[in-house]
Formats: sequence, C-alpha cells, structure tokens
Amino acid sequence: MRKLQLLLVALVLLTLTGGLVRAQDPEPIKAEPGVELNMVLLPKTLGNAVFDEAHEGAIEAHEELENPGELIFNAPTPDNAIPGQIEIIEASITQEVDAIMISANDYEQLLPSTTKAMEEDITVVTWDSPVSPEGEDLFIAQVDFTEVGSVMANMALSILGEDGGQFAILSATPDASNQNAWIEAMQTLLEEDEQYANLELVDIVYGNDDPDDSYNEALGLVDSYPDLELIMAPTTVGIAAAAKAMQDEELCGEVAVSGLGLPSEMQEFVENGCSQEFALWSFKDLGYLTYYVSYLLASGAMEAEEGVVFEAGRMGTYTIEADPNREDGLRVLMGPFSVYNADNLEEWAAGGDEEGEPEVEATEEAN
Amino acid sequence: MHRIRRWVPLQRLREFSLVIILIIVVLIFGNQIDNYYTPRTFNRISSTVALITLVAVGQTMVVLTRNVDLSVGSIVGFTAYYVGRYVSKNEDMAPLMLAVLAMGIGAGMGLINGLLVAYGRIPAIVVTLGTMAIYRGVLVEYSDSKSVATRQLPDWIKELPQESILKFGEYELRALPAIALVAVIVFFFLLLYTSLGRRLYAIGSSPEAANLAGIRAPRMVTLAFTMCGAMAGLGGMLYLARFGTITVDAARGMELQVVAAVVVGGVNILGGSGTVIGAMLGAILIGTIEQSLIRMNINEFWKDALLGLCIIIAVTVDRILINQLTPWWSRTELQRMPEEPHAAV
Repeated sequence: MRKLQLLLVALVLLTLTGGLVRAQDPEPIKAEPGVELNMVLLPKTLGNAVFDEAHEGAIEAHEELENPGELIFNAPTPDNAIPGQIEIIEASITQEVDAIMISANDYEQLLPSTTKAMEEDITVVTWDSPVSPEGEDLFIAQVDFTEVGSVMANMALSILGEDGGQFAILSATPDASNQNAWIEAMQTLLEEDEQYANLELVDIVYGNDDPDDSYNEALGLVDSYPDLELIMAPTTVGIAAAAKAMQDEELCGEVAVSGLGLPSEMQEFVENGCSQEFALWSFKDLGYLTYYVSYLLASGAMEAEEGVVFEAGRMGTYTIEADPNREDGLRVLMGPFSVYNADNLEEWAAGGDEEGEPEVEATEEAN
Repeated sequence: MHRIRRWVPLQRLREFSLVIILIIVVLIFGNQIDNYYTPRTFNRISSTVALITLVAVGQTMVVLTRNVDLSVGSIVGFTAYYVGRYVSKNEDMAPLMLAVLAMGIGAGMGLINGLLVAYGRIPAIVVTLGTMAIYRGVLVEYSDSKSVATRQLPDWIKELPQESILKFGEYELRALPAIALVAVIVFFFLLLYTSLGRRLYAIGSSPEAANLAGIRAPRMVTLAFTMCGAMAGLGGMLYLARFGTITVDAARGMELQVVAAVVVGGVNILGGSGTVIGAMLGAILIGTIEQSLIRMNINEFWKDALLGLCIIIAVTVDRILINQLTPWWSRTELQRMPEEPHAAV
C-alpha cells in the first residue's frame, strides 16, 4: 500500500514536472509551406538600399515557404511618404491581399487604414518602424529601441573620448517614429548616465532621408558649429551623405561621422577615415523574419499572443513578447547589433559583397 | 550718363537690380548667422548653385519660346543613375566620353518632349508633366529600386566636386561652378549674337511675325527642348559626381527650383525676353536663400514656406526697383531734345 502510494506520488510528480517542462518550453510552431498568400511588403520609401535588402530577405523566405501567391514590393516616394503609404494600404485592402508588412512613416496617421485592413481580416505586421499597437498584429523590432540609444551613445563616447566634445544628430524625417524613439533614448541616457557627461548634443537636424538634403544639412551643421567634432546619423541615408559631404569638404579627421550605416555604402568612408565606426543590424534578416511571422499569422498557424513560440526558418526560434516601449504592444525582438569599424569591415568585404554574413561581435557589453 | 544709358540696355538693368537684391539677402543672412562669411559657405553655395544654373540655362531656351520643361528633374535623375551604373561597369571610360553620353541621353529625352510639343501641338506644360512622370517611372523600372553607391564609382568622378580651378586664398572656383560658368558664357553669346539665338527670341516675342519672317518655329522649338535636355543630362552627370549615392528619387523637385531660378532671373514666362545671365543670378539667389535657411535654427516644417516667401519678396522688390528705374532709364536723348531747342529760342 505504502509502495503504491509512493509510486502514485512519483507518478503525479513526474507528470507535473513533465507538464511544467512542456509549458516552459513548448514545441515551437512551424510553418506549413505551400499556403497561397498574397503579401505586400511596404517599406517607408523607395530608393533606400536597406529596404532593398529587406526585400531580398522577404524573397528568400517567400521562395523557401513555396508560397504560390504573390509577394508585392511597393513603397511611396519620400516627398509623399505618409499619404503614399495610406494609398498603398487602401489599394491592398481593395485587392484583398492576405498580409501587409509595413515599416511605418508615422506612428498615428496610418492607423485608420491599418485598422480597416485588420477588420477585413488582413494580417498587419509592422517592422523597422511600428504604428500604435491597436493598428497592428505585432511589431518585428530589429533591436531593442533603448539599445539603439545606448549603442549610439557608446559610439559617440568612443569617438569623442573621455574629454567629450560637441556633436550633432542628423536624423531622417522629423516625424519618423523609430528615429525619434532612438534619439530620445540616447538623450535620456546622456542626461542620466555620468560617463556621458562631457558629450554635448548641440543640435538635431533632419535630412528627410534624402541624399541632397542630408548632404546640405551636414555641411550646415559644420558651418554653424565650428567646434563640432561628430555628426551622429541614425539613418543609413544620412550617414552616407554626411560622410560624402565631409570628404568633399576635406573635413575628415576634423569632424567624425557615425551612426547607423550599411556596410556596403560605408566601406569606402571607413577606409579613407571619414567614418571610424558605425552600427547596424541585418535588414535582410529583418525582411526574412517579418515574412515568416506574417506567413504564420496569415495562414492561421499562429495567433499574435504573448508567449507564443515559433520557428523562423534559418533564423531559429523566437517568442512573441510584450513590447516594453509601447503599452499593449506585442513584439518579436530580432537583434543583434553589429558594430562595424576598419577591422571587421575588411572581413566583411572579403566575405563577398552582398551575400557574406559579417562576422562581428554583437555588442552585448553595450548594455 | 547718357552714354551709359545708351550702351546698357534695360535687360542689364534688371540683372543689376538682382545683384543688389542678392547683396541685401547676403547682408541679412550674414547679420543673422554666426560664421556666415567663410570660404566654406561660399564653396558650398556655389556647388549647389552650379547644378541649378546648368539646368536653368537649358530651361531658359525653352521658356524663351513660350514653353516650359517640367521634366528636367526626372532627366537629371535618370541620367545621373544611368551614367552611374554605366561608369561602374566601364571604369576606364574617358570623362569627356561620359559627358557626351550623359548629354546624349538627356538630348534624346528632350527631343521626345520637343517633338510632342512642336509637331504634336500639345501644350508644353501637359507634355512635360507627362514625361516628368514617365521618365521617373522608367528610372524606377530600370533601377529595380536599387541605388548607385559611391564605392562603385571611379575616383575621378568622386573627386570632381573638390577639384579647384582657380584659388583666391581659401575661396575657390571649383570644377562644378566652373563648368556652369562656361555653359552660361557659351549660351549667353549663342543667344544674343547668333541667328539661332535671335530666332528663339523672335518665336517667343511674336510667333506670327516669326512665321512671316520665314522662321520654322516647330524646328526651333524642338531644338530648344533638345538642348535643354542635353544640359539636364550634363547636370545629371555632375549630380552624380556631387552626391555619389543615387536613388530613384534623385533630383526630384529640381524642376521647380530651376523654373523658379529662370523666372526670378527675369526671363519672361510668356517668352521672348530674358538672358542666361539673369537665369544664373536667379539660381544664385535661390541657392543662397535655400542654403542659408539650412543654417538658421528654424523648424523643419517652415523651411520650404520661408523659401517661397523669400522668393516672392525678392521678385516683388525686383519689380518695384525696375518700375521705378525704367521710366528714368528709358528717357532717351531724343525725348529730351525738344526741351533744349525751346530754351534756346
């Protein structure tokens, strides 16, 4: 009898722990290939190299999942960014697509259209730059937004040194939700953390993600602030334009350029000393992951709920989690950050221009 | 004084008043902005102005014939992209050949505009509004929405904007402004002293009279559009040199700057009068205002509105100056003559 009781307890314990283990580490949801889904990839604007890379990643996933449907790549021109996105979303609703993947130009203004799309049973996934949580299923965050602030602050510190100095920010559009969040995170850090006390942020200007505007704004900064030592551009268009401007005015060495940049665009500026260090995540991976998530949601294999674990092809397993930066928001956090400088860029270049995955350390210590 | 008046036509007077306005504008900005009078400000503004000037010179010819070309921004963008792609694959291409290629592509696009306007008898504003969108569309399609990156370009083209032709201390005349200046001088003489130039003026000031005089207007209009396209093509190549990174959006909206420069420069939008010198001064004025506004601490959303306001003020002041000066200037010696004999009697 006693033995039986022990056995029973053991059995109960076993099933309990087994259950617990399963609850903690459930089988990740996998995608069933071959479901026909028409999907729209809608980045912020046309003519920005990072979005082309995201497109490549989405195409890769599209082929891998053998989706017989269409992957439509469409974006507005920069001068028509917000109305253009609204038009494309409305047109997609009319075409009855299954999923829209948006890098939003505005946090609020797209809401009426994206909400309407969701009411029509269209999966709305944001990536790169989110909308307010009620207008999306979830957000694929490239990196943690506060981490972008700390990575930028750390690059500024390593370029300007302990003694610090003046620096300015050259951003994209004044209403870009992601850039504004990163800049805010950086500003908070500069105020709160003692080690950044000597870094003086003198100005924030906007180049509208347009090469000419960014080029001229960068030169305007140099003219306005003779003691400026660094231009920090949290946009790939801005950083390349600023580096070119410094090169043309023979200011490399006097004014450093840093921020978020594409290795393919920044390589030569690192070689000639116009930029020492910049950072970015892989936009190709971001496009790939976004496509996987949208496919899973649109095919009904997965619900957008906190705690759901899924597998995204070659990138492995991810969990849907609450977005700490946005109330009621859900996100999938991709990461990691790669910091590029003269040392690892050579490796990157040797690894083949477009295909090679850069072998660079993730900046875990940045936190 | 009489002698000066006789030798300086009214058109020069208008240009003179633009120079005065430009000086006023520079003084105002100099007063508002710290470190304004530096060589770098000068070099930067001159490079920006060079691009607008080059395209404005071509635009002037079209406007003289009572037409307008709104597709120049798209032509600049397309040639910048095409030439960039081309030179990245043919690195040892001679600079001059590349310029010829750029101008050739631009001329081809201009020729299409010209044929449609002159022989299709469609208003220029309609034709070029259409081709503006079409040429941009061709670019989007051709580019596959990929961009040209600086690293794909040969060194000479990247270094072109820094090349200085003449130096006065730290003030330099760089390659881009120098090319624009040469274009202005060439077209100045071409328009004022050749029969080709005079015929363009004739068509613009009185189409009927030009027709009676045996000028074949359609051929001349087509030629004007073609030359305008060629200058936009050259502008495209220099745009590539200046910015390096070329996206499908390159030079979008440039047509407005160019048309504004031409109009501010005193080229009559109804045809028949104006010079490339005026267009250049217009470009300098707009470029200076635009680049200087960047230096002011103004809300981003207000900058365009302020640019528009500055242009309107500049043109209004110009008109008032001209209106005040013209009667005085135009009183020729002949008109004064009667007074003197009377006095003698």
